[in-house]
Formats: sequence, structure tokens, C-alpha cells
Amino acid sequence: MANISINKINKFFGNVHVIKDVSLDIKSQSFTVLVGPSGCGKSTMLRMIAGLEDINSGTISIDDQVVNDLPPKERNIAMVFQSYALYPHMTVFDNMAFGLKLEKRSKEEINERVLEAARILQIQDYLKRKPKQLSGGQRQRVAIGRAITRKPKVFLFDEPLSNLDAALRVQMRVELAKLHEQLNATMIYVTHDQTEAMTLANDIVVLDEGLVSQKGTPMELYNNPKNIFVGGFIGSPKMNFIKSKVLSKNSNFTEVDFMGIGKIKISKISNTSNEGDFVQIGIRPEHLLVNKNADANWESKVLVVEKLGSGTFLYLEKDGELLVVQTDGDSTIKVGDTVKIGFDSSRCHLFDKENNAFI
Amino acid sequence: MKIKPIITFCIISSLFLFCLISIWKILATLQGNNLKEFNFTLIFTLGFLVSLTYLIIGNKVHHIIKSIILSLIFTIVDAYTVQSLPWWYSLAVFLILIFFTNKLKNYNKEFLYSEHSSEKALFDFATLFGITLFSFVILFPFYMMVVTSFKTQALLLLNPLDFSIDIKQGLKGLFKSYYIVFDQYKFGRYMLTSSIVSFGTVIVTLLFAIPAAYAVARLNFFGKTFLSTSILIIYMFPAIVLVIPLYTVFSQLGLRNSILGLLIVYTATTLPVAIYMLQGYFKSIPKELEEAGIIDGLKWFGVIFKIIIPLSIPAISSVALYVFMIAWNEFLFSLMFLDKPSSFTLSRAIQFLNVGAETPRQYLMAGSVIVTLPILIIFVYFEKFLVSGLTAGSVKG
Repeated sequence: MANISINKINKFFGNVHVIKDVSLDIKSQSFTVLVGPSGCGKSTMLRMIAGLEDINSGTISIDDQVVNDLPPKERNIAMVFQSYALYPHMTVFDNMAFGLKLEKRSKEEINERVLEAARILQIQDYLKRKPKQLSGGQRQRVAIGRAITRKPKVFLFDEPLSNLDAALRVQMRVELAKLHEQLNATMIYVTHDQTEAMTLANDIVVLDEGLVSQKGTPMELYNNPKNIFVGGFIGSPKMNFIKSKVLSKNSNFTEVDFMGIGKIKISKISNTSNEGDFVQIGIRPEHLLVNKNADANWESKVLVVEKLGSGTFLYLEKDGELLVVQTDGDSTIKVGDTVKIGFDSSRCHLFDKENNAFI
Repeated sequence: MKIKPIITFCIISSLFLFCLISIWKILATLQGNNLKEFNFTLIFTLGFLVSLTYLIIGNKVHHIIKSIILSLIFTIVDAYTVQSLPWWYSLAVFLILIFFTNKLKNYNKEFLYSEHSSEKALFDFATLFGITLFSFVILFPFYMMVVTSFKTQALLLLNPLDFSIDIKQGLKGLFKSYYIVFDQYKFGRYMLTSSIVSFGTVIVTLLFAIPAAYAVARLNFFGKTFLSTSILIIYMFPAIVLVIPLYTVFSQLGLRNSILGLLIVYTATTLPVAIYMLQGYFKSIPKELEEAGIIDGLKWFGVIFKIIIPLSIPAISSVALYVFMIAWNEFLFSLMFLDKPSSFTLSRAIQFLNVGAETPRQYLMAGSVIVTLPILIIFVYFEKFLVSGLTAGSVKG
């Protein structure tokens, strides 16, 4: 289908620099998710690709053609909005056929394409209804259907699931993944929900304040976050960070202070941090061991226990900051119990004082 | 059995009845009855007794029978004690009593024994009285207008305040004034002029207001905030201030006595409110809808015609209605600018009838009915449409 390359684009809203010199390559037929907290510029990026926002500098090309000055319809893209943005005065059929009618396609072709899209999304029964007679999930399907009928090179999704309730969101997520398989199109998807990003994406682009923090496959981001922001953003509950400092280092590992009670050798290195420098140890709740001996151990009282069935989250405190530990769902640990938390050094990440990860 | 709440309720309700009947009596004196013929103490006492009996009988008798019997008794006693009353007076009293006893239906002993019952009853009747009084104040002049237009010169001279319609004249007699107004006074032509001016104003205003309101609501341009806040400034100037300079300008340009001149003035005066109303509505349409349209391949004009306008039909029709009413009823500018009868609008024509010649009043009233009726019909028709349109538009798209 289509690959998209974004080259050093900048965007200002008044004096606010929203997108800062971002370059990005999006492979053909990939499912790329732009993720980040609200205000990071992810929706603006998507709207610039769609052609709804001007680009202040830099270029965006679709299939090696620079599209900066092309109106949206000539970019061969389709967009699904968070609020669905269905035309309230048209039936579902007309909503889906609208773009094709504007392209002056023949009646038979319009019919065929709309019915095909309706079949894929299983909305054949609602074609004669108006959007207000549909539920949220059905409206979302129609919005996606409207995108499909145009057979675009690129699909753009702007937080399409955030107006749906939790159960429906999971269901639609699965359907979107299926749809990507079926259509083999390039899809760019904006969300603030890291679960959606992890489950849907081939590639995740984490944006932070108008900059690309890291780009990679979901597992790359999970296993090797480049900085504290990505480490904290990907994964749920979020990664624990423990203040520490470098005690000694060599070309294979760095030895850092552990909770003020010992030390731990982590086989990651950095050129920028030297002995005595402030660093942070990062470790995910699911990688901490409970009441098992590991490379380093720490004991404390449990403050809160959250039982989810599939797992149990224990909350402990260290110097005023919470430490979250995930353990088995049938764990019998109660509030007030003293537990021993084991740190497996191979699971630990290190971040320097500029918040960049050790390699 | 507690007596106090029942007595209070009877006093409140009979006061209400007393007020209604008094108004009717005062009106009746305009028809030639003597005010001295009315016995106000009797009415109050009778009203009190009616309320009391109604409460005491309670549910033992069906309420329709109850109210008819009580109303009949009241009317007969009233007519018997004041013997010189005409039949139509008593009929109206009977109808008022039916209305009154029908209201009494909502109250029973249980209600009266509950807390704050007398306050509630007082508020109920005060509200009811307010509604009746104000609808009367509004409808009565209209009724007089219609009734007068159905009269002959002789009947008018006999008693100008007579409320009744003399049906004996037959349809032809009743509508004679209308026939004359159209035939001799050329109201058909004035109506045509008024229609052209009004519809023209609506079309021209919408033609300018829709793009302007869209620009103010959506586009960013230099001086936008200033423009959107200063739109209504024109209303700070009374029309009378504008009319004299406009008169000189229009005289120079040869726009007096022309429909075009009126169109320009009316459009200029209605445009600000039209823009103001429309831009508020346009702002409430989600921006994503337009963006979806742009992605589907619409250009700006397409967005306005295929998305904004169909979605704003309720707002546009209320603006159209407002502009139409202003243009149809406008008097000051047409009085100043039009002095040849060939270019008169309806309101100007009526003024001309009133001043220019010794026109019989029934013709004037027939003319007034002709001015009012189209607005009334349009309003009644559009009002339903507006309500349904507004609820349809309020649902999130």
C-alpha cells in the first residue's frame, strides 16, 4: 500500500512549539501507534498527515510524493475520529457512501463498496438508520466503515475507542486488529492508552512534548526503554524507580547503591555516568520477586494489597515513594505483613541523571 | 372534621371566581348593561357556597354532573336576582362556572388536611388568574379587531364596543369589508409588495448571514473578535436616528419609493441579529463533522452546503422567521421612504388609510387582520417545526 515518511516537521500554535523537528518513517502495511500523554502532539501529528493542519516546516511524503500542499482528499487517506463525526442528517448508508458520491463513482460501485464494508463490519442491518438511532459501538463501526469504503492507502485513527465503555473497547480492539489483517493497509493510530498501543501496534512511536521519545516494536519498548519516560509510560502498573548512585563501573556492568542497605551489579553501562553520580534503578512490578532470594533483597511492610484475581499488587513504601510489586493471584499476603522483595539484576534498568537509559 | 382549611380554601376559590366574573361584568357594561345591576356580594357568597358544596359532596356524585348542576344553580340565581340581564351574559357566566368547578376537581378533603394546603391553593388560583388575565389582555384586542372587521358602518356607529358578531348578514355581509379592502383599496397589490419585500429580505439576509456567521464562528481572520463583538452595535442607534440621513441618501440615489431601497435597509437592520443567532448555532456543530467532510473530499463551500446548512435548518428557519416578521411588520422606514401608493407595503397602506382619507373603521380593521394573519399562520406552522428541529439537533452527532 503506502509508506509514509515524515522529515523534520515543525508545528507552532501561536508561540507554542507543538511538534519539534520530528522525523519518522512509517512502513507500508504497518500498524503504527502514536502514543503519549495528552498534549504531547500526537493528534496534531495525525492531523498534519491527514492535511487538516498546516505544516510550518519540513515535509510529509506518502509513497515518496510530498503531500504538504495537497488537500486531504488527494492524499488518499481516511480518518476515523474520536467523536465518530458521523453526519447526523444522513443514513448509515449515505454516511458511508458520501465520499464515493463526491468522487462521482457509479451507483453500482458505491452500492457494492458500501455493502462490502458493511459486511466486513457486520452493520448490514443498520444501513437505513440515522446515526442517532445507533449505540456507541455501532456508530464507531459506521465511522470505520466510512473509512473502508474509500479504499484509502492510509487509515488514520484518532483515539477511536476512547468514547466506548471498557468491554466494548476490548472487543473493538480485537476487531481493529482483525481488520488490519484483512485490509493489509497502512494504519496510523493515535491513543493515550498504552494497552491499546501494545496490543495493536507493529510499531509504537512514543511522543513526549513534541519529540519522539522512542520508536520500536512493542516488545522493544517494553524490554529496552531508551529513557525514563518510555519506561514509565509502557507497562501497567508502571515501572518502579528507585533513587541510587553509581558505586563503581567497568565495561561490562555498573555497580550501584541498593536502597542504602547494600549494592547491586547491573550488567548495563553508560559513558556519561561516573562514580558517585545520581542514577535511578527501574524495575517493573511483574519482575520483582516476593519472598524469594535474588541478587538483592529488601524487606518492608505491605501498605496496600490489591487483588485482581489474575494477580495481586502489593504496595510498599521507600522514602515516601510507592513501590509496586506484582505477585500470584492466590497470594495470602495481608496488609501489615513484612515481605522480602527480591531484585533480579538482569531485569533491572538504569537511568542516568538526564533520564536516559544505560545500555 | 377540621373547618379552618375548608373555609380558607372556599374563600380563596370564591375570590378567584369573583375576580373572573367581575372582569366579565365590566366587559358587559361596555355592551350597555348598567353596572348598578350587578350584585357583587351575592356573587361572592354564591361562589363560596359553590366551593363548599362541591367539597362536601366529594366523590359521591360524578364530577361532570356535579359541576353542571352547581353551575346551573349559580347562573339561575344570578339571573333571577338581577332580572334585566341578556341571555348571552348568563351563558358566559355559566361557562365561567364550568371552568371554575372543573378546577375545583383537583382539590378534596385529603388535600386540604395536608400541610400548606391553603398556600398551595392560593398559589394555584393566583397562577390561574394570572394566566387568564394575561391571555385575555393579549387576545382581547385581537378579538376586537376581527369582530370590528365583520361589522357594517351602521352597527359600528350604534355601538362601537359591541363584542357580538351579527351572523344574520350572511357570509357576504360579514366579509364585505374584506372585499372592499381588496377591491377599492388595492390591498392585493400591497400584499404582493409586502410579500416581495419580506421574502426578498429573508433571502438576501440569509445569503449574507450564513457565510458571515460561518466566518465568525469558524475561521480565523484579522479583527475577528472585534467584528463578532461589534455585530450588535448597530442596535445602539435608534432607527429614528438612521432614518433621516438615510432619507437624504436614498433621495439622491433614487432609492425612495422602490422595493430595492427597502430591501437594503431591512437587510442591514436584520443582518446583525441573524449573524449573531446563526454563529452561536454554528459553533455548537462539532468541528470534526466538517473535518470528516473535508477528508471525504468537500471544499469549503461544500462543507457549508452539505453539512453546515442541513444541520442548521432549525436555526436557519428561526432566523428566517424572525427576519420575515421584522420585514413584514416594519413601519418606520416604509413610512419615510414610501409616498407613492403604488409602492406601499401593507403597514404603510394601513397608515395611509387611517390618515389620508376618512376611511370607515371596519375597513381599517379588515386591513389589520390581513396584515396579521399571514404572520400568525407562518408562526403557528413554523413553531412546531422549530421545536422538533431543536430536539433533533440536540442529540450528539
